[in-house]
Amino acid sequence: MNRYHLVHVTQFQYDGPVSESYNQVRLQPMHDEGQSCLSFRLTTVPAARVTSHRDAFGNWVHQFNILAEHRQLTVEAESVVLAHNREPLSTSETTLADLDSLRESLFEDHFDFVASTAYVPRLEGLAALQEEAEAQGKSSALGFVTAASSLIHERFRYVKGATHVNSSIADSLVLGAGVCQDFAHLLLGIVRGRGLPARYVSGYLVPRAAAEAEAGVEEVIGGQASHAWAEVYLPGSGWIGLDPTLGEPVSARHVRVAYGRDYGDVAPVRGVYKGHAGQRLSVDVRVRPALDDAGRERLVESAAMPPAPVIDERAQQPEQQQQ
Amino acid sequence: MSPGATKVFQPGLFEAYDPSQFYDEMFSAPGTPRPHYAGIFEKLASLAASQFEERRQLADVTFLLQGITFTVYSDGTGTERLFPFDLIPRILPGTEWERIERGLTQRVVALNLFLQDVYGQQRILRDGRIARSLVYSCQHFRREMVGVEVPRGIHTHISGIDLVRDSKTGEFLVLEDNVRTPSGVSYVLENRLVMTRCFPELFQTHEVLPVNNYPAELCKILRVISPRTGEEPQMALLTPGIHNSAYFEHSFLAQQMGIELVEGRDLVVDGSVVYMKTIRGLTRVDVIYRRVDDEFLDPLTFRPDSVLGVPGLMGAYRAGNVTLANAVGNGVADDKAIYAYVPDFIRYYLDEEPVLRNVDTYLCAKPDDLAYVLEHLPDLVVKAVGESGGYGMLIGPASAGREIEEFRRRITAEPRNYIAQPVIGLSRVPSYDPATGRMAGRHVDLRPYCLYNGDDVIIVPGGLTRVALQPGSLVVNSSQGGGSKDTWVLRGEH
Repeated sequence: MNRYHLVHVTQFQYDGPVSESYNQVRLQPMHDEGQSCLSFRLTTVPAARVTSHRDAFGNWVHQFNILAEHRQLTVEAESVVLAHNREPLSTSETTLADLDSLRESLFEDHFDFVASTAYVPRLEGLAALQEEAEAQGKSSALGFVTAASSLIHERFRYVKGATHVNSSIADSLVLGAGVCQDFAHLLLGIVRGRGLPARYVSGYLVPRAAAEAEAGVEEVIGGQASHAWAEVYLPGSGWIGLDPTLGEPVSARHVRVAYGRDYGDVAPVRGVYKGHAGQRLSVDVRVRPALDDAGRERLVESAAMPPAPVIDERAQQPEQQQQ
Repeated sequence: MSPGATKVFQPGLFEAYDPSQFYDEMFSAPGTPRPHYAGIFEKLASLAASQFEERRQLADVTFLLQGITFTVYSDGTGTERLFPFDLIPRILPGTEWERIERGLTQRVVALNLFLQDVYGQQRILRDGRIARSLVYSCQHFRREMVGVEVPRGIHTHISGIDLVRDSKTGEFLVLEDNVRTPSGVSYVLENRLVMTRCFPELFQTHEVLPVNNYPAELCKILRVISPRTGEEPQMALLTPGIHNSAYFEHSFLAQQMGIELVEGRDLVVDGSVVYMKTIRGLTRVDVIYRRVDDEFLDPLTFRPDSVLGVPGLMGAYRAGNVTLANAVGNGVADDKAIYAYVPDFIRYYLDEEPVLRNVDTYLCAKPDDLAYVLEHLPDLVVKAVGESGGYGMLIGPASAGREIEEFRRRITAEPRNYIAQPVIGLSRVPSYDPATGRMAGRHVDLRPYCLYNGDDVIIVPGGLTRVALQPGSLVVNSSQGGGSKDTWVLRGEH
């Protein structure tokens, strides 16, 4: 069952009153040959009028502002996604030697995804991993990227809190640890170092239980379902997804939301506000199969209802975002 | 010059004046003024040093009373200074100006088409006329602008194109383009005002083309780009505030155009519409002539630490509820590496040959050029591509070995960030040297201000002549201690 109902709730609690809050979110799942975004709805409390546009990478960006004073902001994104089953790429003719001759044209055609970035600088420290992946890949380009992904999975420990949201791969290299964001960046670093275009993907990893278990089970998995991995462009084959956190190719359990050069392009929620109060952030993602045993849509009984909106003189009905 | 004129030479302002090996704008040979300078020369040569000094003091007092100042950042004191003004005008015959005007017009139109293209169809990239990597690696290329359509297709509402006259050939060359927030036009207007006070008689004997219509022409453009057609547009000039080096100009232009002068905190965005906070409540704003750089414009989209901008402004701009002049992302067109391709843009978009040539430019991003540059550093001018205002620059022949080695290190580390050009022997205009009480040749450039309304390019005749007042100096930037002159375009030949 590859039809998922996702509810992503982000909540900011401020110590004191804040106002003139402006926010930009990238939470709407992609709709393309790999997956269908059947519905999407964004709700905020306090209520706000939401506008949307697509960024330079084709991601949907929703933007809203709340001028009046508030002490709490909740952003709820609810979507239904149908993930298409795709065979992971098992063979590719492209060799590492081919990459050398294609290096310049790949750089020109995919500049944004080959050039170094703030999170993914060129680092001497990646050379050893790159060489090892090349050796394991046995002169095949696909072998190289698969090996690079597995190496990160094997060599780096998954430690929550080891790094922070602004950490570059320099930090995770020193620590030998990190989270999915760091592992995705590391993979980008290694394959870009070999001249291959690679992009950062933000999205959700649907837990096996929710993906396979009987309908009706609703998983509440904290922020953990928010996930990140990488896609690499293989000449002749196109973009292929690799998950260095799992050490596996991506599957129908990976729901893609946005891609970019690195995390900086795809941050799910970004905002500025006026006020001296500190903030506490909590993120909660719920995933469950979207169909019941009989194959019927379960959308009517939506997940956790947001608290009732605080009415003030500016309050408006939240605008529905339907695709 | 008639031989009789030499008898008034004794007051001595031009005594021992040496046009030297450089192109002298006033003299075609020692003691022989060019036809369009004959009248001025006669007037100046008839003045005793004390009479000239009187007029000079009148000029200084006028500037001081007008409050025309400039802030220099790098000297650590941050003090406001009078922008040094030299009384000897820079004069261009009308026929020469016409050619410059033609060259500027095609250049501005081509730069605008390039901006439409790189943020739109990207035809020029697909056709391989310029490398995507070069465009995308520009510090000021804004991915946030990709796919954004601006009103009337105008990106470069206001351009300042820097020209220099090469002493070797006497030809005007384009030194750089400024299409982000070019400054200095207020000095064009003020210099003219001061000149007419100090030398009113000269404007009776010379037919000098007027410049004072600039604010009105700019205001017309701001009016036509308003998204709310059929309604009286609300326009505002957005300044970073009183600490900005060009604050005088911001308040001057706002006042001249009769539009509001605002800072970021005076504006607020609600639901993709921009409002100005007034004592009568919120007023909708349609057009913003912004003198705040892209990266400070909207903390939600660009630098989150910016307090100069307006959060949400990009959203209102993208939604088409407010028009910004100049457009966001223009810096990709005046990047100093992209500059090298502007003559190609003119050929590619307009199918015309450039009227004004570029200065030869070596792109350190290209391996061959890089090797040449590193070998010839002491002979070249090196510029950081994203900088402006004369910051981040090396003038090889005038630099110590230590500075040259420092630049060698920087260039090698980040070749894409640098270009190099041969040293151009800028032409000179006689300028008053208070130390000697006489005229001496000083190097000048010329920055005309071009306005674009989508159909026509409107250029006030002349522009700002900047002068390097230090003997021998080639750096004319006001931020580097340069001064300015009134610039005259004469109707017809002279």
